Formats: sequence, C-alpha cells, structure tokens
Amino acid sequence: MAAIAALSIAVSVTATLVAALFAIPGAFWIVHGRSTGRVLLLGFFNVGLGFPPVAVGLLIAFFFWRSGPLGWFDLLYTPGTMILAQVIVIIPLVGSLAVIALRTVDATLPHQLAALGVPTATRRRLLLREAAPVLAACVVAGFGRAIAEVGAAQMTGGNIEGQTRVLTTATMLAVGKGEFGQAFAYVAVLLGIMAVIAGGTLVLQARWR
Amino acid sequence: MAVSGTRIALVRDAFHLDVDEFLADSTGTALVGRNGAGKTTLLLALQGLIEHNGVVQRPSRCAGVFAAPAVLRGSVLWNIEIVVRSAFPASDDDARRRARAAAESVGLAALADRDARRLSSGERQRLALARALALEPQALFLDEAFANIDADGRVELRRLVRDFIERSGCTLVVATQTLADVSALCQRVVLLENGRVELDAPLSPATLDARPYLAALAAEATSP
Repeated sequence: MAAIAALSIAVSVTATLVAALFAIPGAFWIVHGRSTGRVLLLGFFNVGLGFPPVAVGLLIAFFFWRSGPLGWFDLLYTPGTMILAQVIVIIPLVGSLAVIALRTVDATLPHQLAALGVPTATRRRLLLREAAPVLAACVVAGFGRAIAEVGAAQMTGGNIEGQTRVLTTATMLAVGKGEFGQAFAYVAVLLGIMAVIAGGTLVLQARWR
Repeated sequence: MAVSGTRIALVRDAFHLDVDEFLADSTGTALVGRNGAGKTTLLLALQGLIEHNGVVQRPSRCAGVFAAPAVLRGSVLWNIEIVVRSAFPASDDDARRRARAAAESVGLAALADRDARRLSSGERQRLALARALALEPQALFLDEAFANIDADGRVELRRLVRDFIERSGCTLVVATQTLADVSALCQRVVLLENGRVELDAPLSPATLDARPYLAALAAEATSP
C-alpha cells in the first residue's frame, strides 16, 4: 500500500510540476503578451479541458508501443509515460485556471509598475507574486486531476505491481477481483492525500493573504 | 530634463490621438479637457507606455501616478520599498529609510504597516504619490492624482509636489479636471479635444476665458 501511494504521489507531483512549468508561463503570455498566437494557445487550453484521458492514454500507448514511432525509447509501461500522459491531461486545466487567476490581478499593474521604472523581469516576478495564492489553487486542481486519473494511467502504465501500480489502477483491479475492502482502503488513502494537499494549500493561502 | 513630443499619433480602441507638438518642463503643464478627450492616452504615450508613431524625449528617471493606483499584496511601506529597490541600487536599509520618509511625507506614517489592499481610494492615491516621489524622478506624470484625496489633504499634497518640483527642477505634467490642481502646480495649460490640442497657452485669466471648457473649469472653481 505504502509503495503504491508513494508512486501515485511521485508520478502526480512530477506531472503537476512539469505541467505548471508549461501552463503558467503560457497563461502569462495569454494575459500579458501581444502576439495573436495567444488565441491559439487559449483555444488549446479550452479545448484540452475536454480531452478524455483515455484518448490521451491511447495516443501515448500507440506512439510508445514497441513497434510504434517512439517505441525505441522503450518507455511504455513505465512511470515516464504515465507522467507524460498526466502532463498532457492537466496542462489545459492548469493553463485555463491560471489565465483566470492572472486576470484577477489589476490589469493596469504592469503599466503602473513600468511607469515607476520597475524593470520587466521584476514586473513579471511581482505579477506572479500577486497571483500566487490563486495560482497555487490552480496547481492543486491539476494535482487533484492527475492523481485521480485512471484511464491514461492504466493504458500507459499497465498497472504492473511494484512498477507502475498507482492508487487508481490498484482500486480498479481490486474491484475487478471483488475485493471491496481493499478498494475502499485505496480510495481512503487517495482522499487522505487530497485532504492533506488541500489543507496545506489553505494554510499557504492564509499566510499569503 | 524637459519632456518633448513630436507628432504623437495613435489609434486606440477607435480613439484617435494626434498631437503635433508637446513640451513640458519644471514650470508644470496641465492637460485639461472633457472625459475622453485624450488626456490619459497622451500621458501614457509621453511615458512610453503605449505605442505611437511620434518621437518623445524624456529624462531617464520618470514616475507616473495613475488615477486608480494599483497596489501590491503587502504593507504600505513594502509597496514603496520594492519600487525604490527596483529603481536604485539601494541597500535594504536605505530603501526602507526612503520608503518611511516618503510614507511620512504623504501622511501615511500611521498606516505604514497596513496591508495596502485595505487602504481607501484616497489613501491609495497618497501611497501612489509616495511611491513616485520616493524615486526622486526627473519627470513626474500625474493623472487625476488628487481626485479622491480629502480637501485638506489635497492642499497639503499639492504643496508637497510643488516643493519637490521647485527643489529638484523635475518636469511636471498633470492631467486634471480641477482648476485648483492647475493653478497650484502648473504655469501652462494644454486643452485637448477629441485627441487634438485645441489650445496650448500660459495659465492666465485670458486663457481661462479663451474656450468654453476652460471658462467652465474656472466658473466651477468659483461657484458656491
């Protein structure tokens, strides 16, 4: 159980951090950039909210299949492809929520800071700082989706015991075998992890207020 | 240290600004005109904050105060400090000292540790002035900077700005709807109408009589 929970956390935390690394700068560009390409990225975020994880899993399984285009990486059924699938699933969620978060900051703030001679890099840092409490909630939402996701995890990880079995795929297997006690235990751990993360975020947001 | 602009032309949200010549120095220039005449747009263009086709020359260290000042999450003192630290290679102690002096000068000493987001709109304007003056700018752009401040505060802060200008020789451009701002701070009036300069003249009784809008500005100041 502990190893399964630890792998779940490791895969989802890594996927969330990688997704945030792309999604938050992307959201920043959408809100404060000038190029028309921003609309395309916003469109990707919005459309991506509806991506079925199972479709993402299918695509990754296809590409990383032994005889597939990326088969020579030999990554299918490893935490690597599970992380990749989760990143693709949650980037649109974190990105579109981050756009909303950044729009909660006074839109004239960049101009006002520029009017006081604050350099561009410092302006960006201060804008991120202003949005940080709401951005933290976006990242937590992404983590929540990642750790609760099952379709892509099953397809790209294969639910191999000791290697790619995470809480959601383990729950599915337990239910399949009729072991409801075990399945409830996995779900309780899953909910416990989310409760700890959500509580931690609340404490952080209270400190940032 | 003057601010000069030539052929400042731009289109923004279907609004056309077209100013052939603009010049301001430490004697102070007031931008007046009806809502939507282009005062704020011209101020933004002069500060290089929006793109335009013209040429603007301004000193290297400028400070602008907006009508609705944005404040950062943090104390009043920190809001001033972070701007000072960005503008000067100041040590933490020096930045804090400058910030405290600026907060005191605008009457915010008692609120120095308060979260800036909890300030009233008038207190925010005081903070915005403190941030700008703490930079010791060579050009100062004020956009309705006193509009929400209480009456005695307005008099006191206009005096503070005027003293700073006299002491430093800083160029001053003020967009305002109040004759009191104009007469306290500026010797020149630029009247804007529909994005164009309708009148550019020294402040005098004759100038205030020269256009209906200026006469209305003067009449409002003397009406009971």
